[in-house]
Amino acid sequence: MITAEQKPIEEIIEYIAPYDRILLVGCNECVTVCAAGGRKEVGLLASALHLHSLKQGKTVDIKEITLERQCDPEYVEELVSLIDSADAILSMACGCGVQTIAGRYKDKPVYPAVNTKFMGASESQGIWAERCKGCGDCLLGVTGGVCPVARCSKQLMNGPCGGTSNGQCEISPDTDCAWRLIWERLKALGMEKRYIEVMVAKDWRPAGGGGPRRIVREDLT
Amino acid sequence: MQEAKDIQYESSIDKRVLVVGGGVGGIRAALDLAESRRNVTLIDKSYAIGGLMTQLDRTFPTNNCDLCTVSPHLSQSGRQIYLDLQPMTVLDALEGEAGDFKATLLTQPRYIDVEKCTACGECQKQFPEAVRFTPGLDPRAPTCMRYPQATPYAYSIDMDKVTDKDALVQSCKADAIVLDDEPRKIELNVASVVLSIGAELFNPEALDHFGAGKLDNVVTGLEYERIMSASGPFQGSLLRRSDQKRPKRVAWIQCVGSRGINKEDVPYCSGVCCMYALKEAIVTKERFAQEIETTIFYMDMRTYGKDYELYLNRAKNEYGIRMIRCRPHSIVEDADTKNLSITYAVEEEAQPKIEEFDMVVLSTGFRMNSETAVLAEKIGVELDPYQFVKTDHFNAVETSKPGVYVCGVAQTPKDIPETMVQGSAAASMAASNLPAMADALPEEELIPERDVSGEDPKVGFFICDCGMEIGGVIQVSEIVEFAKGLPRVAVSQAVGYGCSSESMAVIEESIKTNGLNRVVIGGCSPRTHEAKFQDLLRRAGLNKYLVEIVNLRDQNTWAHLGEPDKALQKAFRLVESGISGVLQTRPLVDHTLPMNRNALVVGGGVTGMTAALQLADQGIKVYLVERAPVLGGVAQTIRKTIEGEDVGAFLNQLVKDVTAHDNIQVLTRSIIVDHSGMPGRFQTGIQTGVRMNYMQLDHGVTILATGALPNRPAIYGLGSHDGIMTQLDLDTLLDESPEKVQEMDQVVMIQCAGSREPDNPNCSRICCQAAIKNALRVKALNPEASVYVLYRDIRTYGMYEDFYREARNQDVQFIRFTRDTKPDVRVESGRVYVSVFDGIIGRTIDIETDLLALSTGMIADDETTEDLAMMFHVPRTSDNYFLEDHVKLRPVDMSVRGIFLAGTAHSPKTIPESITQARAAAGRAQTMLAKQEINLGASVAKVDGSKCATCLVCVRACPFSIPLINEDRYSQIDPAKCQGCGICVAECPAKAIQLMAFEDDQILAKLDGIFGGLN
Amino acid sequence: MGNFEPEIVGLCCHYCAYTAADMAGSKRISYPSNVKIIRVPCTGKVDAIHLMKALEKGADGVFVAGCLEGDCHFKNGNTRAAKRVVYVKNYIESLGFEPERVAMYNISAGMGERFAQIAGEFTEQIKALGPNPVKNIKSNHQAAGQ
Repeated sequence: MITAEQKPIEEIIEYIAPYDRILLVGCNECVTVCAAGGRKEVGLLASALHLHSLKQGKTVDIKEITLERQCDPEYVEELVSLIDSADAILSMACGCGVQTIAGRYKDKPVYPAVNTKFMGASESQGIWAERCKGCGDCLLGVTGGVCPVARCSKQLMNGPCGGTSNGQCEISPDTDCAWRLIWERLKALGMEKRYIEVMVAKDWRPAGGGGPRRIVREDLT
Repeated sequence: MQEAKDIQYESSIDKRVLVVGGGVGGIRAALDLAESRRNVTLIDKSYAIGGLMTQLDRTFPTNNCDLCTVSPHLSQSGRQIYLDLQPMTVLDALEGEAGDFKATLLTQPRYIDVEKCTACGECQKQFPEAVRFTPGLDPRAPTCMRYPQATPYAYSIDMDKVTDKDALVQSCKADAIVLDDEPRKIELNVASVVLSIGAELFNPEALDHFGAGKLDNVVTGLEYERIMSASGPFQGSLLRRSDQKRPKRVAWIQCVGSRGINKEDVPYCSGVCCMYALKEAIVTKERFAQEIETTIFYMDMRTYGKDYELYLNRAKNEYGIRMIRCRPHSIVEDADTKNLSITYAVEEEAQPKIEEFDMVVLSTGFRMNSETAVLAEKIGVELDPYQFVKTDHFNAVETSKPGVYVCGVAQTPKDIPETMVQGSAAASMAASNLPAMADALPEEELIPERDVSGEDPKVGFFICDCGMEIGGVIQVSEIVEFAKGLPRVAVSQAVGYGCSSESMAVIEESIKTNGLNRVVIGGCSPRTHEAKFQDLLRRAGLNKYLVEIVNLRDQNTWAHLGEPDKALQKAFRLVESGISGVLQTRPLVDHTLPMNRNALVVGGGVTGMTAALQLADQGIKVYLVERAPVLGGVAQTIRKTIEGEDVGAFLNQLVKDVTAHDNIQVLTRSIIVDHSGMPGRFQTGIQTGVRMNYMQLDHGVTILATGALPNRPAIYGLGSHDGIMTQLDLDTLLDESPEKVQEMDQVVMIQCAGSREPDNPNCSRICCQAAIKNALRVKALNPEASVYVLYRDIRTYGMYEDFYREARNQDVQFIRFTRDTKPDVRVESGRVYVSVFDGIIGRTIDIETDLLALSTGMIADDETTEDLAMMFHVPRTSDNYFLEDHVKLRPVDMSVRGIFLAGTAHSPKTIPESITQARAAAGRAQTMLAKQEINLGASVAKVDGSKCATCLVCVRACPFSIPLINEDRYSQIDPAKCQGCGICVAECPAKAIQLMAFEDDQILAKLDGIFGGLN
Repeated sequence: MGNFEPEIVGLCCHYCAYTAADMAGSKRISYPSNVKIIRVPCTGKVDAIHLMKALEKGADGVFVAGCLEGDCHFKNGNTRAAKRVVYVKNYIESLGFEPERVAMYNISAGMGERFAQIAGEFTEQIKALGPNPVKNIKSNHQAAGQ
């Protein structure tokens, strides 16, 4: 899942300051699940913006809508009927959603209301953690299901650095040392041998080094 | 009132129970029967039901206002379809036998048509002295409504006192005066009769030495209640009658007319006066002024009920109420100040003392009157020597006449909770003469619900003045006008007491004729009255969730009494909020599940077995679970009751009946290991038999009858010498080896051994009579023996006082000690010696004794109650007994619906008292089992699958793990399991869940209403 | 500012605070009439949006009153509510509103006096803060409209 966090309210306020009519668009996918831009957050942000503008002595017209998925053009098409009554669009989706809207409604300014953070998993209610960098060449098969690219602060490929202490990362004691996790996991699986196999230098081209990536499935197009 | 001639009672299918007397006991019995879908007729000689309790100001031990707690019950009586209420009616004759009586009822003319009377009070204005009801302080008047929430809600007229009949007829705009009303006779076919005829309070004017009726500032306990009461003569101000000034020194004299042998006295104890005097003293301090000196003159402080000892301790320690152990002889009035002086003696001092008080309250007890004797004679039930209704030894609600039962004070003096228990027990017994449960009457048929989905909202706003409670603070008419101006309000009207049956009928009619589809009631709290108005809507053909109650009383006029302008402004806002909220309500469907009609009884002692039999006889399958290898419980160790009845023989018969009953499955050597489900559909796991096999029981109700333990504290040398034993040991010894007792010359008993102590603060209730029972048995075996009972207070409540008197007559020596001067026990050369300070002779006496019996009483079975409390989610008292839902009004119901409580698991009590409670619990259980379905309500979380993002937040947030993501990929919440907290609703990031009846748009609409002036 | 009478909304749990408010009434314990109560089945039902909307609609102060800690009828509705109240405090602070306009209280059903005390204290607190700035604008607009 793509995770995101609401931007500081001051930043959002600054974006929309010039406009009287705002279309506030949420997304019912990832940002709903990570409580950044679903129907509930749309309502809260709208209320906050109302409060702010009232305090400034004016009123602002905010229309709230939450799309099923902002990164698909068909869903974004649903904004057509509302778009003319808005001076600007404020999107609570991840960057993909914001861009899909911007691509479709070319004459309307679109502003992001959230910062897209990372691809992560839910650890427990209210806590999300990064798990994948989208490197395009998954090596979880050799690291016991723990990714050193996403979870080692230094993205080391052949064991921990010298900074690991009590199994925690030196960057932050709240972070588990990825290589400690890899070792424990391999040991539990009886695959200790894997640990000492030296990994060759990683090819970073599939990770985006070669420019924006696309996937094309000819059979589906 | 329904016209008698229109009621068809002849049909035998329609067999009913007749309840005579509409006090709290009779109301409880009638309601229980009606709730069990049995037809019942409730008659009362008075023009409104309610009895004595409605005259009290507050009740112990909760110190709550009675009127407020009892009035919903009363009007509940008015609305039950199985319940026919006949005020001003007496039972004139009873022929036939149990199951097939013919009862003749006689109804006095009321001269007012109850159906037409709107209780507007116009007739009362013409006869201004008419309305008050303050016994002893106000004259009765021709038209008289007893108290504001009267049921039926109508006046009545004493025609003899009306001078100008035409003027009376003229005064009534509703044309409700019936000048030619006359007495009517009705014959009724009834299966059984419950007598709940109560008693009167002794009138102390018969005594010349206390000045009652002559001295202005001498009042009875009840008059004092009326003086303190908000509906009393001084509108709730505590004032002296002589000068209308607040007293600074108030004294109570206990046992006035009770526990005496003089002229006008009765020998028995009235059982409630100690508690009510304590309550009046506490309320005096609490409500009026902490500085008012309160003094109680008493003989023995009899706080023997559940947690009553704690109440006494609080009275003494926290409120500083002074207790003087003395029965004063007389009261002398100062002619100028009208102050009252009392001469009294205390044990520690030789000289009597004289003290002056501003007011003296006489604590008078219960008396039966001659009417009871006449009624008893007519219907053929026997009375005891004091004219109370005589009952079976082991069954305190069964009279000498089969099919006729009794409850409340008419049986023996008692307080409200015990009256409630007997009311339920008598109802349960009365039902046993009707066809079994399964054949009970069908549930009420209602007119179909109107589909309002296509209609524009049409709101009816009805505001109660609640007498002075709302109307006395804010102008109800202004609110009516205000509401009229709000959008979509079709009707706005004041309805007096909205909860009276009269006003309810007006609202129902208005819904029908005006085609209303939303209703807002401005009145008291929805906590107490929402259900009632929901029922009203349903009867009027509307979905019951289309009503909103605006709390104008509890949260407005009561709280802002001194600021009427602000209260009015707030009322506007609250009313607008209620009206804008109701527009967002929608029809909802209650979720139901079929009721499981089995019962689980936990505990196979006398209580559990009695309850099991009572239910099994009604065709209910009962699982009786007992952890011991045999049935019987603590009663197996008791040989005789104080009346001399053979407990063993009674117990054997009971065990035999239970074991032989087809509907009872006895599970001995069984313990409860788990419990789940909901009221009406419980699952309880037990391990049973020698091999502890697991078994799951499915049942709809549970009765907890796990008993208590005989206490055996290691005090006074118990366990160190053969001659030191408990009263239970002595009971056995007397039964098995009387010859040993016969040889004894000296026997000592010590009371409160291990009770009324900091680690076990309550009174064990049973020990005083147990000690006196055994003392009398020792005396019977050897009249020459010296028997000493060392005590703190002798608590032979009610008729047990006779045995106390008998023991004194037989020269049993009673020596009082206090917690600071406890007796000392020592063993020297194999002999037991007891020394105790005797306050009367002022020195310590030393007694060499052949036997020392300790009255150790009972303690809660801590381990059992702890385990069960955890599994059944029910609360316990601080001393580890189970805690009932309401100590006053729901004494055998637990806070979890479907779980009931009886016997010594509730608090220490005698065998007959346990049996009564068992029958009461069984009766209450039947009210639940009579229903075909369990209503789960409608306020549950509902998911809009199209909005759900399957994020799992609800699954994680639910405290009860109810939501799950279903195969169709959205969250699903089982309405039968949802508890309705709304936590998932607030957490859902997709706003896909709404809590029915508390939807977001409704809450926001209420906010809009509150700020209506701004938006 | 001396005669400023704030508008205060209390979102009260049916099982405790609402009952306590009733009890304050039945004991005739007075508290400021500024406080108007909306009943909820559990404070766990109170959503951040309810608090925001109350302020938006003109409330000078909003409080949530639930059961004592550990006493929630539904296990933890009150602790969840408390967290949401903290969230809203921070949120409105970032918008330039005083976080003290929003509060959470814990109270049991029997605490009528305590309810009145809370109502009194909170009202005083809001009086000291002065009116919700949103309100002036609203009434100006209204006046303009008329």
